[in-house]
Amino acid sequence: MREFKIAQPRTADELAALLAETKEPVAMMAGGTDLIDELKSGVATAGLVADLQAVAGLAGIVPEKEGLRIGAMTKVVDLDEDAAVARNYPSLRQAARSLATPQLRNVGTVGGNLCQRPRCWYYRDPQVVCRKKGGFNCYAFQGRNKYHAIFGGSGCFIVYPSDLAPALISLGAKATIGSVKGDKVVPLEQFYALPEIDGRRENILDKGQFLKSVWVPAPKAGQKAVYVKLKERGTWDFALVSAAVTGVVQGGVFAEISVVMGGVAPIPWRLRKAEDVLRGKPVSEALVRQAVDEALKDASPLRENGYKADLAFAALKEAVLAAAA
Amino acid sequence: MNTKAPDYRLIGKPTRRIDGREVVTGRATYTQDIKLKDMLIGKILRSPHAAAEVVSIDLAPALALPGVFAALKLAEGKVRYAGQQVAAVAAVDERTAEKALSRIKVEYKTLPYVVDWEKARDASAPQVRDGKGNVEKFNEYSRGDVEKGFAEADVVVERTYRTAFEIHNPAETHGSVAYWEGDHLVVYDSTQNIHGVRDGLARTLKVPAANVTVIKKYMGGGFGSKLGLNEHTVAAANLARETRRPVKILLSRRDNAVCVGYRPSSLQTYKVGAKKDGSLTAFSLVNYASGGVGAGDEVSEPVVDIYKCPNCKVEEFTVFTNTGASRATRAPGHTQGALGLEGVMDELAAALEMDPLELRKKNYSTRNLGDTGLPYSTKGLDMCYELGAKAIGWERRNRKPGEGSGPVRRGIGVATSIWFGAGVPGTLADIVLYPDMSVEVVCGTQDLGTGTRTHMAVVAAETLGLEPKDITVKLGNSDYPWAPLSGGSLTTPSVAPAVRDAALKAVDRLKAVAAARLKVAADDVAMGDRKFFAKSAPEKTVVFADVYRDLRRETPFHGERTGYPGDAYAFNTFGAHFAEVDVNVETGRIRVLKHVAAHDSGQIINKLTAESQVVGAVTQGLSAGLFEERVMDDTTGNPVNPNLCDYKIATSLDIPEITPIFVDIVDTRLNNLGTKGLGEPPRIPSSAAIANAVYNAIGVHVREIPMTPQRVLAALKRKEAGS
Repeated sequence: MREFKIAQPRTADELAALLAETKEPVAMMAGGTDLIDELKSGVATAGLVADLQAVAGLAGIVPEKEGLRIGAMTKVVDLDEDAAVARNYPSLRQAARSLATPQLRNVGTVGGNLCQRPRCWYYRDPQVVCRKKGGFNCYAFQGRNKYHAIFGGSGCFIVYPSDLAPALISLGAKATIGSVKGDKVVPLEQFYALPEIDGRRENILDKGQFLKSVWVPAPKAGQKAVYVKLKERGTWDFALVSAAVTGVVQGGVFAEISVVMGGVAPIPWRLRKAEDVLRGKPVSEALVRQAVDEALKDASPLRENGYKADLAFAALKEAVLAAAA
Repeated sequence: MNTKAPDYRLIGKPTRRIDGREVVTGRATYTQDIKLKDMLIGKILRSPHAAAEVVSIDLAPALALPGVFAALKLAEGKVRYAGQQVAAVAAVDERTAEKALSRIKVEYKTLPYVVDWEKARDASAPQVRDGKGNVEKFNEYSRGDVEKGFAEADVVVERTYRTAFEIHNPAETHGSVAYWEGDHLVVYDSTQNIHGVRDGLARTLKVPAANVTVIKKYMGGGFGSKLGLNEHTVAAANLARETRRPVKILLSRRDNAVCVGYRPSSLQTYKVGAKKDGSLTAFSLVNYASGGVGAGDEVSEPVVDIYKCPNCKVEEFTVFTNTGASRATRAPGHTQGALGLEGVMDELAAALEMDPLELRKKNYSTRNLGDTGLPYSTKGLDMCYELGAKAIGWERRNRKPGEGSGPVRRGIGVATSIWFGAGVPGTLADIVLYPDMSVEVVCGTQDLGTGTRTHMAVVAAETLGLEPKDITVKLGNSDYPWAPLSGGSLTTPSVAPAVRDAALKAVDRLKAVAAARLKVAADDVAMGDRKFFAKSAPEKTVVFADVYRDLRRETPFHGERTGYPGDAYAFNTFGAHFAEVDVNVETGRIRVLKHVAAHDSGQIINKLTAESQVVGAVTQGLSAGLFEERVMDDTTGNPVNPNLCDYKIATSLDIPEITPIFVDIVDTRLNNLGTKGLGEPPRIPSSAAIANAVYNAIGVHVREIPMTPQRVLAALKRKEAGS
């Protein structure tokens, strides 16, 4: 582990000022479950680690008139155990509960989960300098890629590992980004950025900016929300493929629907073409098949990850049928 | 021979571990916990390249760093795998040692390499060894005439099965702490083989074996990866000699994936012929296995031995790659062989429209080498089949594989094991009786976590009429009486009979001393209820304490594990596993619902730790069957998953109800307790039973482990395509 300095700002303004002023590369530490590992292995280096633990006002789940605000430093376990989340956003609770292990959920945070670095095994290998780390090649493209992207890969084929992000995006969440210039609100869907925009990061946070909170709109009448996560083992596993579906069902038909998948693309992947197929028609397995086939027209599987197309169908079928039930 | 288990007071009953409290409260001292005064931390620099010429190594910048005490060059000429040691340092602490490693300047000239073992078979692949091809035949066997056998068959089935590279990944990574007292070397080592490490160090360092002591008190698992002398142990001893300080070297989790072995892969093609009634006419096996720069495993023993079959032919080839050498992994070869052999037996059963269990019983052998060799001294496999089938509810299986419907299919499968486990004659153990009635049992064996300490106490206490808590157990020191390495399921059948022998001698002496007190003949003395008494006059008694006091000084008794008639009989252990699974045919996800493990390992010494052994082995087999695989990358020459995140091991949520069954057949020809080994047998058929249950559920054999969703879905596509 290389040496680094550590700063423990007390307020969001202090944090913003620190991020704006410092000339060194900064790593923000929320729960630290992953960052510490990255620093130890040498995959990440930082001149300064900004520990967010003591920043006032970043943790907590606060009901607001039009929705629910979730602070970036809210622990995942608190999301899992929150009554309003359980009542109004069942998919978010399912996502929180499916994530990592109880130990990690007790320490890991919502913001940390939404801003986590990819799990790509080439990226995680300290001996490899890949595109994501400023090198020239994506080693996964022609290498070992059973866990990699079937959608949206371009020069880098990571998948975005967050469970919370697909659920939140399908629920219509917005992200509040803090900086010395004040807060900025963007739809969470637009918080993430494909490698073709910047291969070295997965979101739009510029230097000086940090994720402050996410806001989820109040559920619409008749809203159903389901999160399905397909993984290899029973727990402590990132999604092979996950599907978050939020919809308003009227008479066996989705009047509105939003479908976001995890584990298939470098960012949480919105399946608009699938939504178009599913909207307004009686729900059936055949309709889901048609929706997935439509979405898969954009897919370009690599040598070892073609099975994710089958899993996309299985995940979406389970989520859609559960939401429509 | 009477094979009925005697009615012991302690042996065969459950006894809690005598060191359980120490272990679960964190007070047990593992090699990683050893801290000695002035101890330095050693670290090893490893080659990032799979093949390279080491042009030069410059240690000076590392040695110039304050806090660095010594540095060694460990590589000369070529390195042949990524992870091979190149240099080592010893420094005041870990960070300084790491910094020192980064300052060592190594000039490499990289060379062509191959780590993909299937590509390594191409004639055009880079040669791993200078001037030799990458494929080498390393085993062949033949009996009868297989061509004739296949010609006589009504049904012939030919199938290919694959097994992955499985890393041992013990909870405690390898580590050694070495220091010198004058010309005497003391090494704390996380090892399965204290005497072997002692002898290896003596040879390598050119010091007398008598001047080397190897100590291992507690261990967090080995599974075969800690059977021999390790390079890092030699480095620690050399650094300690140079610095005149203790040096500790611990390996990392990544090191566990690159330089201390793994189970070799296999690609096994079986051809089997049978008559309509199921009797086997011929078996052939061609196996390719890869153990990196080391050898693959022979997987043929199950096919050669287990089923009655007059004609059998085997050819096995090892494929060299630029990967660290493999090492024995819990039941080497047999575990892979069981997956293939038991898979093809089930596919044959389907072709014959026969119950897979009936097919196995139809070809039951009572002699080894497929009923052509020596008679088995005892063989309780038939009882394993019977009790296991009953426990799983065998009649609930699909009569035809894959006959269920819907997205989630259920299935039940069986698989068989044969293994060794006779133990090693010549194993020594001492019992020391003290006048204050304390009792010591001493043996230079090691407890891998299997419960050896406790079984030594159980055998001594049973024999001496005491309780396990009355016994002080000493093991894990190479200065103690010789015992073999703990591998090959040797420990219990070697150590327990030696302890029994010493304890029986101690009882004889105690009876003689009691006889003097009781003023009766020694053969008139009996023992019971912590007293000695005269059989002729039971009212004449003397309590244990008085007899022990009469010994006047501590008194050792030497026990030895004696020989067995291996030229007249075959001594083996047997087992049958039954698994029930469900498989989601849309997600490819397998869940194991229940696993029954029935074993013939002779007399069980401690039922509690024996059951733990079975549960652990089934868990490991489930894990290898569903999740575990070291993935190598030909571009970097390195594994992509040298960690516990991407190298997936079963979690508690993946582990079903596991039911161990012991058939309690005591083989008195084998040793004085009729006990056999159990360490490896329950690992052998565990993945195979699950694979066969999956076949029963979905109607297509996945034929490759781990059976990931990717592979299950591919198998289902193969079924749809009708191939």
